[in-house]
Amino acid sequence: MTDLKVREIKRLAYERPPIRRGYANQTLYVNISDSTISCKPVSEKMKETFVGGKGFDLWLLWNAVNSRTRWDSPENALCIACGPLGGTPIYPGSGKSIVTAISPTTGSVMDSNVGGFFGPYLKFSGFDALEIQGKTDVPTVIFIDGINKQVQVLEVTGLPEGAHEISEVLTNHFGQGKPRNISVVSSGPGAKHTLIGLLNFSWYDPKRSRARLKQAGRGGLGTVFADKGLKAIVARWDTVTLAMNDPADEAALKEVARLHSREIMEQDPKQNQMSMVGTAHLVPIMNDYDLLPTHNFRYGRHPDASKVGMDVYRPLFDKGYDGCWMGCSLACSHGVKDFVPTTGPHAGQKVYVDGPEYETIAGCGSNHGIFDPLHIIEMNFYCDNYGLDSISVGTSIAFAMECFETGLINKTHTGMDLSFGNKASALEIVHQMARGEGFGKMVGQGVRRMKQIFSREYGADRAFMEDIGMEAKGLEFSEYMPKESLAQQGGYGLALKGPQHDEAWLIFLDMVHNFMPTFEQKAEALHWFPLWRTWFGLCGLCKLPWNDVVPADNKQTKEPAKVIQHVEWYTQYFNAVTGKSLVPADLITMSEKVYNFQRILCLKMGYGRREHDAIPYRSMGPVTVDEYESRAERYDKQLKEIYAVDTDGKDTAEKVKTLRKFREERYEQLKDAVYERRGWTHDGIPTLDTVRRLGIDFPEVLDVLQAHGVA
Amino acid sequence: MVLDEGREFCWREGMTVADLLKELDDPYPYAVVRVNDAVISGPDFEKAAVPRGSEVHLIPLIAGG
Repeated sequence: MTDLKVREIKRLAYERPPIRRGYANQTLYVNISDSTISCKPVSEKMKETFVGGKGFDLWLLWNAVNSRTRWDSPENALCIACGPLGGTPIYPGSGKSIVTAISPTTGSVMDSNVGGFFGPYLKFSGFDALEIQGKTDVPTVIFIDGINKQVQVLEVTGLPEGAHEISEVLTNHFGQGKPRNISVVSSGPGAKHTLIGLLNFSWYDPKRSRARLKQAGRGGLGTVFADKGLKAIVARWDTVTLAMNDPADEAALKEVARLHSREIMEQDPKQNQMSMVGTAHLVPIMNDYDLLPTHNFRYGRHPDASKVGMDVYRPLFDKGYDGCWMGCSLACSHGVKDFVPTTGPHAGQKVYVDGPEYETIAGCGSNHGIFDPLHIIEMNFYCDNYGLDSISVGTSIAFAMECFETGLINKTHTGMDLSFGNKASALEIVHQMARGEGFGKMVGQGVRRMKQIFSREYGADRAFMEDIGMEAKGLEFSEYMPKESLAQQGGYGLALKGPQHDEAWLIFLDMVHNFMPTFEQKAEALHWFPLWRTWFGLCGLCKLPWNDVVPADNKQTKEPAKVIQHVEWYTQYFNAVTGKSLVPADLITMSEKVYNFQRILCLKMGYGRREHDAIPYRSMGPVTVDEYESRAERYDKQLKEIYAVDTDGKDTAEKVKTLRKFREERYEQLKDAVYERRGWTHDGIPTLDTVRRLGIDFPEVLDVLQAHGVA
Repeated sequence: MVLDEGREFCWREGMTVADLLKELDDPYPYAVVRVNDAVISGPDFEKAAVPRGSEVHLIPLIAGG
């Protein structure tokens, strides 16, 4: 039993406002440098412009930082928000939190969404968002107790290091016999020693009698958290009911929730079976279509992929309800019970592993040339426990493995054989990240910094590493192979925070179905989909119920990919809670304001221009002769039929060069088309007309634009 | 043999998923078809058999993460 010592540093007793139409109408500010705790009002203008969730986070962040703020500056604000629909217990996927801060890997704005109970509990405790500034040397826990209407900054000693243990200990400590009333945000030792730390958000699972974890993974938000000196943030709330969000039309809310839930129950077993296998269902499909990254994104398919497919994980997942928010019928947060790691501090002990999901299977499995399901589960467990983003861990190790295999680095540098397929070394790298030592500490700096270090310290070929290092804006790519889809190259490269697929996932529409053959059609998709997906983050919602299960008659609609029936249901949902009378197009405009504001915040931080939307050539096409020759028929055909190149007599190296020239030109043409559609300049900056049309032409926004030549 | 949403179709010896889709005369470009518990992707439609008595679901869309 952990012996906790808790000392109160500061306490704020507050009046808990009633939730009105989904809003608490105030945010919570905590500065852990001087233990300031205060409440900030939320104005009607703030709601009108930024909606909630990520929008509120970004507004708070804008006001907290200046152009010289770095990720580890005390003023960098870690912001966590729910949204006006968040916390609704009967509508599928209504428990998301969004986290933002200035990222250690990109230096710019990062946002990451996550399930678990924290966001709703924060709001029901009286706060639409939480903003944390400052840094401290004492191990600090922020306790937001909505039941007793007080916020405390606490010094807590005796806490364990690992995220699973911290969550369990604090759930028991603050739960007072009611563990379901608690949600814990924590990181882990890896977050302290790397730049790719994540945040774990807990949700109590009564069937399994344990705190389970979801992750805000991308961009090192856990590293910001650890650098501030935070050990945990705890929210405490009581029973959740439908009435708690004060919906304007409860009957309409119940009806639309019933429709969506019923459809999921009926269609999910016939479609993707998310409620049974979660996103693991994607593994065999991605492999079949040459989209599953293997060996650092060299290839998209491997004969052993079936060894880590959904049929392997299905029987390993613990049976039972797996919703990370109350009442979600998609319930895709599967886990493995009584798993026994073979390495590290938990070797030989039975642990519960939340996952693996597709990204971890691909990132820590196929992309390392490893097709052992149990190894992937162990990587998943330790990434969570250490507070490490399994996507960045996966892509970073894959890059290091390719550098090792191509001789850019060697055992003198790594201290181990880092060949593709080496399971022991992959795990050891993760343990080193947690201990802050060895080559793992270097890998934990992420791909962009590894390129710099390998070049500077070891004389490695910088140009080649720029081609094969799968990062953009400083963020590692998530685990889909975009080489054959120009639209998905844009989905990655033009995403505001970096190459994460949560803005646009267009591979099937573009590559498989060829639904968008022209630049204009691709640009339209790269306008609509990122805006629509942004909307979920404004409202406190999960995107998965939108399009991971679709109506039976969806294919008969004009644009099946948009799942228009669901867009209409979400509009009804928003209206039922907030009392507004919006139409679907209004939802897109809501997002467009926040999306453009985020781009300008990137600009304020020194990023957010055309040059920052560059992507490595590995994501566009074959870098090496081997890659080309592995799909020679495809590439030869493209050169002949699309680019009218006579390939006769050309050797492969020449064909690689020729194809590259065409593909890089097409990516630049795509940028032009997308910038124009988004109302941005040729340099990728929102125009004055755009910010005026959207009503985000505040003086401080105009100042930033003017400083970058847009006036 | 049962198709999703209760539609039935005639089965014949050696039938593949590609044969089945042709017989349905459904123009939608399906990327994935589930035959019983097996997920069959487009590149395998020509070679994947549909056994007698199969329950088949046409998966309309692959949405990704």
